[in-house]
This record gives sequence, structure tokens and C-alpha cells, in this order.
Amino acid sequence: MALIRPRLTEYHGIFKPQAELEFAIPFLDEDIPLYVDPFLLWKSPSQQDRALHLSLVNSINHLGYLAKKGDRQGAAQDLILASECDEVGLGVSRTREGKRIGKSQAEEILNLFHHVPEYDKRGFQHFEEIQFYVDGISKDRIGDFSCSLLKSFLIDFTIDHCEQLGIPLIDCKLSHLYDSQKNAFIENVRTKLPLTPDKSPILLVPKRWLRFGPWINFDEYFRAYCPRDEVFNPNEPESRVKVLHYNRDNYGIVEAYLREKERTAADCKNDPFFEQIPVLSARRKMTEIERLPTGKDDNADRKYEDAAVQLLASLLYPHLDFAADQSRTDSGITIRDLVFYNNRSHPFLAELFDDYGSKQIAMEMKNVKAIEREHINQLNRYMADELGQFGVLITRHELPKARLKNTLDLWSGQRRCIIVLTDVDLGQMVELYESKQRLPLDVLKKKYVEFRRACPA
Amino acid sequence: MWSFDVPAQPKKAIITRAKVDQLEKVAGQLEGMHSELSALAKKSPNDGVNKFKLKFVNSMLADCIDLLGGEYSPFEDFQEFNPDDVPSNSDVTFIVAQYIQALEKFRSDNINQKPSGWYYNLAESENPVRAAPPAKLTK
Repeated sequence: MALIRPRLTEYHGIFKPQAELEFAIPFLDEDIPLYVDPFLLWKSPSQQDRALHLSLVNSINHLGYLAKKGDRQGAAQDLILASECDEVGLGVSRTREGKRIGKSQAEEILNLFHHVPEYDKRGFQHFEEIQFYVDGISKDRIGDFSCSLLKSFLIDFTIDHCEQLGIPLIDCKLSHLYDSQKNAFIENVRTKLPLTPDKSPILLVPKRWLRFGPWINFDEYFRAYCPRDEVFNPNEPESRVKVLHYNRDNYGIVEAYLREKERTAADCKNDPFFEQIPVLSARRKMTEIERLPTGKDDNADRKYEDAAVQLLASLLYPHLDFAADQSRTDSGITIRDLVFYNNRSHPFLAELFDDYGSKQIAMEMKNVKAIEREHINQLNRYMADELGQFGVLITRHELPKARLKNTLDLWSGQRRCIIVLTDVDLGQMVELYESKQRLPLDVLKKKYVEFRRACPA
Repeated sequence: MWSFDVPAQPKKAIITRAKVDQLEKVAGQLEGMHSELSALAKKSPNDGVNKFKLKFVNSMLADCIDLLGGEYSPFEDFQEFNPDDVPSNSDVTFIVAQYIQALEKFRSDNINQKPSGWYYNLAESENPVRAAPPAKLTK
């Protein structure tokens, strides 16, 4: 069985938690649902980031200059090329591949330099403004423009970090690379980058640049800033396209919004990949779990699984990065489990890796009164290859004696380890999560130590 | 003639001065620790005791076990808390309370009442050391 939701680092046998790395660890076969926000570069205290923002805006403004000079076709072509950057793997695609904008959309963007006098005179200050005038330009496109035009920097950043971590760099060809000296795309550039298993190059992106949505955001503008009473007639359906047209003739409104966003720039922070739930919320989830009956009545199993997923992903962070909450079918029964990346950031996790070969750790949830032999067998069948020979059953009560013997037999016969986390253990983990006296992960270790003590010598 | 002298107590085992010092030190420390831990245990009994505190609890319990010997130790098979077991506040409070009781029993067996008060049963050659009355009597 291959890794579940494989990431670049685990694929190359590098086990570092996301929290310790400066870049967003890319998935090998899907996108990370975050986007580069150019505003984060603009507001950054780093001179390098601000210089990159300037270069980015200059590159876009140069296209306006080209269009004005008469090379409209060349400018549109460059815009189309800049509109997608598959190598970074950001967005919501399940395949790491996106589509470029069309010619008509590129023309629309170039027309802005003609239609809005301020852009004609001085160009863009924040090129995210394009969202306010052109339909179909959204947060992912802004991120793609940024990555394409800063690709040269991202290549250096990627090489630097890969060399530090020991991720292999392989000769590859990039079809287009923006050269900020020539202000043009150069074709077929050879460089060394890490590759996906299907040989596509990967670029790493600093996580300080990433947000779920841009700070200068059309959705927010549409919702809270645009003067609807001026744009729409009474009882008229509120179409976004009408707002886009309105903005072209009323730059002052857009500018006021931009100044407001610049004024509140201190509130603009990069979004973390994973945010732990607050302590109060963890307590509520625990109470919810404790009150749930066992079994499937009234969807209790589903509710139990949902609460346990949210709780454990937070409790075990940052030592175990949450990989996936996935369903699988075994003998016609749907089983839901949690999979974590084992990044060996704790001696106990390193031991699991060394002794059981667990590159990832699977935890299976069972909202049943008593675990049966079949439940243990289901998890045991699942524990193979990358998941190693260590598994966790998350259930309501301790194992009955006979089932405990089953798990001990599995250890004796095949050196497979299945430990159980009950409501009591989850409760203690929540206590530790709140008090911060110990790590919630220590409870998992405690259960493991107890299991090993019970094992025959 | 009336006499107010206290009747002579039966002779008990003699304790050394060094042991008296050790006993008083350990008993004081354990009392302090118990009051801290019981406050925590009342607030959140299942919360774990951190490794830093646990290290000192274990060190004090080791002194205690060393002093009490096999005869007075409340649990024969208890040596120390294993940090891997994530002992909770209530676990640690429970054990510490047992050792406080055992120390008191040990102390009570090694003191004697004289007309001027309670004293440790030291050798004749040593200066007498006053002791508090047994806890049972003060309650």
C-alpha cells in the first residue's frame, strides 16, 4: 500500500513536521488549498519580499506598457502564460494541474490600462485589483500570476531548501520562465528541481506568503464595501458582473477599499496549514463524545467519528501532522479512519518508526460497546507497508479480556501492535491539552507502554 | 505524696540523630508537596503531573522509602512514578498521602513522652531532641 496523501518530504524519506519547515510541504498528487497573497509580500518587513512585490507589480504594469505601445498580442500572450503555475501545487485541484486564462480574459485585463485612467497613468499598485474588474479572475488566479512571475526566485528557494533537507534535485525542463530583466518569458529553461513520481517539477513556496484568500478580496468588497444602492436598482438581482462594470467607472470606490485594506495591513497574517481547535472547543467535543450512545442509532457513530477526528488532529499536533480522514470498505463494512504522517519528531514516534516501520499511523474509530474480534482483524488487515505494524483503535471502553488477548497474540506471533484509546484516555488528553503540563501524545505512549508490559517477555 | 510524674513509657527502638534530621526534612517536604498537589488534584484530578515536578516527587519518595525501610513502607512494590505512565494529579496525591501516614507512624514509634514533653528516642549519649506529639493525639 502506498502512502496516503503522500507529501514530498515523506516520499523522499525526510520526516520533518510542517511546523518546523519554512515552506509549505507540497502533496505529490493534489494541491494545497492555500494561495500566494501578494499583499503579504507588500506588507512584509523583509526587504526581499517587498522587492519581489515591486518586481511582480512592475511585471504586470509592463504588460500594460506593451499593450499601449502596440504589442497587444505579445502582452496578451505573456498574460496567458503567467496565468497558471502548476509547479507550486496550490489551489483546490485534485491533480496538480490547472488551466490558463483565455485570450478574451487576457484582453479584458489589458483593457483596464486603457479604461481606468489611473492605471493608464501609473499602473497597478496592487495587482489583485484585477479581481474588481474582470469576471473569472479569482484568488487562485492571483496566486498563479504571482508564482509565475516570481518563478525564478521560487526555483532558488526550492533548490536551497531541498539541499538543506537532502531532497534529490533532478534535471528538468520548465516550458516557460519569466525573466524580470528582459520582462519576457523565456522558453525551455533547464534547471534542477525535485520531481513528482510522474516526473513533473515541484516548486516550494514560503509559507509566510500563503493565505486561504487574498487580503484584497472581491468577495469581501462585494459583501461589505460596494455601494449596492448605487449599483443596483431596487429589486434588481445583485449580479457580480454589474459590480465589475461599475468599478471600471468608479475607481474612487475601489481605491477607498484599497486604502482601507492598507490601513489595516497589520491584521493581515499568513494562514497556517492546520490550526488547532481552542481548548474550550476541545472540551466541548469531549463532552459531546461522552454523551453519545454507542452504536449507530441517531447517527451516533458518525457524530462520534466527526468529533474524534477534530479532537485528535488537534491534540496530536504538531508531533503528528494530520494526513487524511478517510473511509474504506472492508468485508462490506464502511470503516472510517484517521491517518497521520509520522514525522518522528518525538522519541516515541521515532521508536514506532524504527520498530514497526510506521511512516504513517492509522487510527480506526469504533463507536461500539465492546470491540469484537472482527474489528481487530479489520485494523490488522489494514496495517501493511507504509502504515507499518502499529495501529490504534479509538473506541469507547477498554478491550474485553479476550480481545486484549487477541492483540497480545498478534504481537507475539507477528510483532504487530494494536493499542486502544478509550473515552478515559481522550479525556486525559484533553486535560493535558488544556493544562499543558504534559503532551497529549504522552497518553498514546502510556497506552503503548502498558501494552508492552502486558506482552509476554 | 502525690506525684504528677508520667508513668515510665516502655522502651522503644533507638533512632539516630541523623535519621531524626532526615525524617523531619522529608516529612516537611512531603507535607508541602501534598498541599500543592491536592490543590491541583481538586481542580483537575485527571490532569498529568509534568516531568519536572515528577522528578522531585520521585526523589522525595526515594528518600522516604530509604528512611522507612521495608517495615514501614506502605506499598512493597512501589518504587517511583514512571513518567511514561503519565500519572495524574490524583494518583500522585494519593501516593504522597500514604507516605505521609507511613512517616507519621514511623515517627510515632520513635518518640517518647517525658514529663517535659515528647522526645525522640535517641541514645543516652546524644542531646535530647523534642518532637511533636503523635498526630493521632493532636487531632
